[in-house]
This record gives sequence, structure tokens and C-alpha cells, in this order.
Amino acid sequence: MSGELDEAVCALLEHSLRAWRVPGKIHREADGAWLIAAANKRVRIARAPADLPFRWTVADAERRRSATSVTGVLRHVRAALDSSYRSVSLRIAPLPPAP
Amino acid sequence: MIPVVVLTGFLGSGKTTLLGRLLRHPDFARTAVIINEFGEVGLDHDLVEASEESFVELQTGCLCCAVRGDLALTLANLLRRRDAGTVHPFERIAIETSGLADPAPILHTLMSDAHLARRLALAAVVATVDTVNGLATLERYPQSVKQVALADRLILTKTDLAQGQCADLAARLAALNPAAKREQAAFGEVDPARLFDTGHPASLRARDLSAWLGLDGRGDAPAAGHHAGISCFAILRNEPIKAIALTLFLEALAEHCGADLLRLKGIVNIAENPDHPAVIHGVQHVFHPPVWLDRWPSRDRRSRLVCIGRDIQHAWIEALIRAIEAEVAEVEAVGA
Repeated sequence: MSGELDEAVCALLEHSLRAWRVPGKIHREADGAWLIAAANKRVRIARAPADLPFRWTVADAERRRSATSVTGVLRHVRAALDSSYRSVSLRIAPLPPAP
Repeated sequence: MIPVVVLTGFLGSGKTTLLGRLLRHPDFARTAVIINEFGEVGLDHDLVEASEESFVELQTGCLCCAVRGDLALTLANLLRRRDAGTVHPFERIAIETSGLADPAPILHTLMSDAHLARRLALAAVVATVDTVNGLATLERYPQSVKQVALADRLILTKTDLAQGQCADLAARLAALNPAAKREQAAFGEVDPARLFDTGHPASLRARDLSAWLGLDGRGDAPAAGHHAGISCFAILRNEPIKAIALTLFLEALAEHCGADLLRLKGIVNIAENPDHPAVIHGVQHVFHPPVWLDRWPSRDRRSRLVCIGRDIQHAWIEALIRAIEAEVAEVEAVGA
């Protein structure tokens, strides 16, 4: 994990917990993975092995998910911490605004 | 394309008075009107249409389906009758929402219905604000805050009755929605042309574009405001943004903020197309396709995004875009 991405992901996770109003802590593990302890759960975020077609894994006690970007990581982390979370998909209007 | 103005505003804020005056104005002839409440006003007008809902009480926007289908049907029927010559060939449409309505579902209908989008274009969201009671209304009713936050133009009504409340109200409105233009209407009088004149981003001059974004004369961000859970802030980027980073950013915003993202608009320097800025505009999770300008409207080539949202933290937005940009940079470095 590059230094810049490393710092940015950590900051994003910290701000996300705050934004979602989920009290919790984030720890760095020896192998570079991040461990989130929040909502009575532990969620581990690690870089995927280089031979796999995705970049990240997000694992909790129940399942392991893969993600191709930090936005995918964010989706999986939120879903792991809040089982009632339902994401909203971006929609693109058919035409540009105004005549 | 037929321009559509959505006229919103809290109960008693003067929407109907304003609309009544406008319909008698010669410049407002050839206007079809859709009102969201039966019997709210007896408009003696050939083109008055009324959708079924008397009112829709919305808190999060999730009830929008209740009004969407009906409004889309009403608009489609109106267009069909216009094509058939059974109504006057109107040149614009005004939709008056009920005083308790969330205007967002109406915007969604106009933006996302493929059939309507071919014929209709959202020209502006206009919100009336009662100068006498507006401040108290904004304190007490979150619907009114959202109506103001979503507006392109704010019409201050009953200014003839106001006694000293204007300055506080103006400050509150500026904090809630610095991008909205403000007009005063005494006795419901306002220039009709101004309601439909919001300007197409592609044709805006530099100063107008800054005004559309709510930026100051130097193109800098508006002062961040935060009232009743609604905040307005700007995201500035000196360096061009990769197209994939912008896409991921908008997807994540829509995904995590949804109905709380009241409005996002901005001009973006896309790294792959730096000479042609992209103007983006979204309401909640629905975005228009970007409008590509022929050239930068000024020497300022920074990306500037203005976000109005409910309970959305500026720091989270900044962290999100920073992480996305860092990952895109890492992927490109590995692939190079």
C-alpha cells in the first residue's frame, strides 16, 4: 500500500465512522491491514493478493467480500457494521439540463 | 424543449399569490400550470392541470414514488393535448407544489423520466419565502429548509409587511443556500422573465457561472453554512481530476448520502479533457450528464464543486475524494 493511499484510506475510515455515527476504533495490524472494531463487530480490511482480480478484501466474522476500489471497501464496511444499510445507486438523467 | 419552473415554498409563503399575479402578466401567457393541491386557488385559466395528490408530506424523499407517477402522467397528458391542439400551444410549464411538499421528487421526475426529458427541461426551482414569518418557519419546519436549500431562486414575499426582519432572514437564507438568487416581491409582483431565466451552464459567462455555483467574485468558495442539519460547502481542487475518480466520487456520494445530498453542482477540470470543463449538476442521487463547455469561462481552471446536504460532513467528503484520487494515482503508477 503506498504511503499516500495508506493515509487516505485510514482518514476515510475514521471520517466514515464519524459520519455514520458509529463509535469505534481503527487499528493497523502487523501485515498492514486495517482492523475496525465498532458496533460490536470486527471488520478487517486488507489488500488482496496480486494474483486476484480485485484490490481489497473486507472480512468480518460472517463473511469475506472483495472490492475493486476504496469506494467498494466503504460499501462493504458500512454493510458489515449496519445490516439495515441499503445503498442508493447513482442515476444519470437522460439529457443534460436546460434547453 | 419546454422549460419547466418548479414553484415551491412553505404554507402561506405566497406561492399562489405569486402565481396568480404571474398568470395575469402578458409575458407569462402561454404557460401551462400544474398545481399540486386541488382547490388551493381558483385559477381561471385554460391550461390549469392538477395532479391527484392534495399534498405529500415528505421527510426523507423516500415517498417520492407517490407523486412521481401521477406527475409524469399529468405532464405526458399535457404534452399530448398540446400536440393534438386541444390546449393552447403553451411555451412553458409552471408546477406549484403544495406547501408541505418536498420538491425533490418532482425534480427526479423531470430529470429521470426519459419520455419527459426529451420534451421538458428543468429551468429553475423557485421557492417563496415569507419575509414576515419566514425565519420562524425555517426554525420550526424542516420541509421549508429543504425547499430553500433546493432552490435556484428565492422570492421574498410580503416585503411590504416586513418590519426589520429582512436582514436576519437574508443572512439565514444566504447560509442555507448561498447559490440561490434572491428577489423581492411586494404584493406578489415579480418580473416573470426572471423566473425562467436561470441560464444554461453552457452559455454562462464567468461571472454568471460563479453566481450559479454560489462562489464569490474571485471564484472562491462560499462561507460554509450549517443550519438545521443542512450544510453548504465547496470542494476546490487545483489539480485536474481523473474521469474515473470523479465517477467513483459521485457514485459514492449518491450511495452513502442518497436523499441527504440535496444538491451538488460544479465545474470540473477533467484530466483527460482539460481544455473543456465539465459542468455537473445533481439532485440527491440523480445527476444530469455533464455539460462540456467549449472553453473555460475564465482563467480560473480549478475544479469547484458546491454541495448542499443534510447531515453531510465536509471532512468526510474531502477524505473520500482524497482516498479515491490516491487509489487512482496508485493504480496508474503500477500500470505505468
